[in-house]
Amino acid sequence: MNEQFRVAQKIGLMFRPETEIPEDIKDWAISQLHADSPALGISKKYGKIKPWPQSMQPNLDERARLWRLYRENKKKERERKDSQELASAKQANRQNNLMREKDEMKFAHRNVYGKDQIRMRLMSFWANHFTIGNTFDNESLIGHAMEGAILANLNSPFSEMLYKVTTHPGMLTYLDNIWSAGEESKHTINCRKKVDCQAGLNDNLGRELLELHTVSPKAGYSETDIRQTAKVLAGWGINFDASIEKLNKNGGTTNHWDMYKTRYAEPGNKTVLGKVIGVDRGGLRQLTDHLASNEYTIMHLSAKLCQHFVSDNPQKKDIDYIAKVWRSSKGDLDQIHSAVINCAINSKDDKFQWPMNWLFQVIRLSDATFFKGWQDVYNYDNDLMDVKNIFKELGQSFWSTRQPDGYSSNKEEWLSGEMFERRLRFSDVIYSVGRTKTSPEKIMDRIGANMTTRNLVESAGGTRRLRFIALMCSPELMGLKSV
Amino acid sequence: MFLAGVPIPGFTKDKPPGNISVILLEGGMDGLTAVPPIGDPSLITMRKTLTPKDFLKLNSFFGLHPSLPNFSRLMAKNNASIVHATSFPYIKRSHFEGQNLMEGGGLSPFSEKTGWLGRALEIANLPGKALSLEMPLILRGYKNNDNFYPASIKKSNSLISSLITKIAMAHSKDEADIFAKLSRKSSQSSITARDPVSLAKYAGKEMSRENGPIASVIRIGQFDTHANQVSEDDYDRNGDHAKRLEIIDDVIAAYRKGLGDAWDRSIILTLTEFGRTVAVNGTRGTEHGYGSVGFLAGGTISKSRVVSEWPGLSKNEQFESRDLMATIDYRSVCAACIERSLGLDHDRIASEIFFTPKLPRIYDYIFS
Repeated sequence: MNEQFRVAQKIGLMFRPETEIPEDIKDWAISQLHADSPALGISKKYGKIKPWPQSMQPNLDERARLWRLYRENKKKERERKDSQELASAKQANRQNNLMREKDEMKFAHRNVYGKDQIRMRLMSFWANHFTIGNTFDNESLIGHAMEGAILANLNSPFSEMLYKVTTHPGMLTYLDNIWSAGEESKHTINCRKKVDCQAGLNDNLGRELLELHTVSPKAGYSETDIRQTAKVLAGWGINFDASIEKLNKNGGTTNHWDMYKTRYAEPGNKTVLGKVIGVDRGGLRQLTDHLASNEYTIMHLSAKLCQHFVSDNPQKKDIDYIAKVWRSSKGDLDQIHSAVINCAINSKDDKFQWPMNWLFQVIRLSDATFFKGWQDVYNYDNDLMDVKNIFKELGQSFWSTRQPDGYSSNKEEWLSGEMFERRLRFSDVIYSVGRTKTSPEKIMDRIGANMTTRNLVESAGGTRRLRFIALMCSPELMGLKSV
Repeated sequence: MFLAGVPIPGFTKDKPPGNISVILLEGGMDGLTAVPPIGDPSLITMRKTLTPKDFLKLNSFFGLHPSLPNFSRLMAKNNASIVHATSFPYIKRSHFEGQNLMEGGGLSPFSEKTGWLGRALEIANLPGKALSLEMPLILRGYKNNDNFYPASIKKSNSLISSLITKIAMAHSKDEADIFAKLSRKSSQSSITARDPVSLAKYAGKEMSRENGPIASVIRIGQFDTHANQVSEDDYDRNGDHAKRLEIIDDVIAAYRKGLGDAWDRSIILTLTEFGRTVAVNGTRGTEHGYGSVGFLAGGTISKSRVVSEWPGLSKNEQFESRDLMATIDYRSVCAACIERSLGLDHDRIASEIFFTPKLPRIYDYIFS
């Protein structure tokens, strides 16, 4: 592959046919960190690319209002009130008030039609790092966390992103923190006086904050550090269906994102990894700032970035370089991401592409239509699958129910017959329903395909369909070593 | 010469003595809820809300969760056993380190790139099959192992094997092997359902075939019940954890159905990365712990037992004053199941598969 496409594959999503290919790829890649980043998509199948309507991108308060409506209608459905038990009403309730399918389609559109391909890749990397699995009661929140906490902070210090994700209602729900109460909190003490009342700590988020999101087990923290972290977190978050009035009363706030219930908070200072953390809502920021600058966090995340963008087996010098930039910039994500881009360009190692990124790249290269338009989120299409089923079939979705360690960037985790069969089948279907406007030969010329790829495509036979499948499943397009 | 006709474990092409299926229980199963030690006086004081009221009685000391009726019937027929207060030797309570050890069978987290069952099948030179989209670590290490997970893609045509062969030839090493295997695969899949119960039935059927896989692996997730492990009203009958136990029960029943006559030479075992805390937490759930339970079922079991060296549940008997202690190394259970199904010698399993030459042999407690 020529240098432009090699880099666009490794750290981006490939250049669409209508895009001019930049001459200086490194300059372009760095400037992409600040690219204009509207959510682009299509309203109808084969339609023109344009920005997503604001009305389909509600803010957190509006999402909370819709979620409450959904829950109220479900209650009526059970009670057989207001005809909510009718199939049409149930369907309308889901379509009008839940956000998952719209958010997942927008994510797909942005990746396929966006002009901010490196930002999209970084958003996916961090969304995966801060995995928020679907527990259903948070599925209207996942898309918001990805854009509001992650994409919005790609140019911020890491400490800011960490704090915003940790306090996002999607995360607080996913890892059970919304129910956690300090052992000595007013709520728990009061509860102990009653029969059959249960209250107390839940250490789920505290544990993963240390293990996965920041320092990693290499830091050698103790079970006490985990409990102390859980105590700092106690009080954060609330059931998303709580009313604004209740939020006001309990937390003095109307914003689901800064919801802190003092009645659930653990009194007194806490100590995590030797750092004394103060009381009240400010304590969490002290903790996340401390963790964000911890040496173990820096090494853990530098290695993880390297493995995702540079090489399956990153060299120590690359990890050290990113870590050095991390320290000297005090965790500035712009500078860290620039360092990652430098290493990815300088390293000639192949980088196996995740199923979802490979899919986006295939669609972009061939200018195919494979995702429905936003007007048709819930409408049946003869040819095109529902967006959520496409991701389910790929075995990779940010809206799936999954474990908090997220998807591996290591090739070994994705090698299986069924995984490869999906790539063959998707290539076939993208070709047959996608109305690709460009031939496999044109694509190969544009990207500067290597001889193995050209020979493979030629050997695939006379029909364009077979040549297309061969190209997209070639080692070169999958980010693998050719023979 | 005088060895003629006697199968030498690990070197024979003869039919293996049995088959082995593993059910991975991800998230950390609460062994004390699944198999409550009703004879331990600490149970009811520490776990009143977590213990099912209508448990099935196994003996004077152990009960069985009511969500496991099939398993209970198998116990009554002497075709199932339980190992209690057991764990892989891992005490640090991280899911991901723990899962890596239970599948990899290594001496430290992330030390192995292959799985213990994969290494066993490699030595026995017999294939296994995972019923999942990805190839789980536990089965990696033997090139003839494969996976199955039916695709559901609109407008997808059947695959053309000559094309896949050409694609395989362009790829290198592992990837080339995978595409080559795909090119030989029949594009007609006999089932389309992908829930663990349907997959278990399919796996059993496949294993019952002449030249079918000798091993299979199925995954059941979401045992990580930090909150709402039990339902508010009904003492763990409808809670999240009870629902997961029901799936285990149905999966074992489906295996049995699929295996048919092959049930008689089968062993099915569950694995989980760790147990959960003895005490309930503040949110009607439990935190990550240590000791848990292993379920074993199959016609190769001829006497049902609860195999346990019971450590006790009182505070000073708990591990680090919070978890059920593990007194049986679960690798010994896995080793016994390999020995029974693949006919490998225990010492070889201990040293070459688990890298622990002194791993205790507990075969007789399970299979005699």
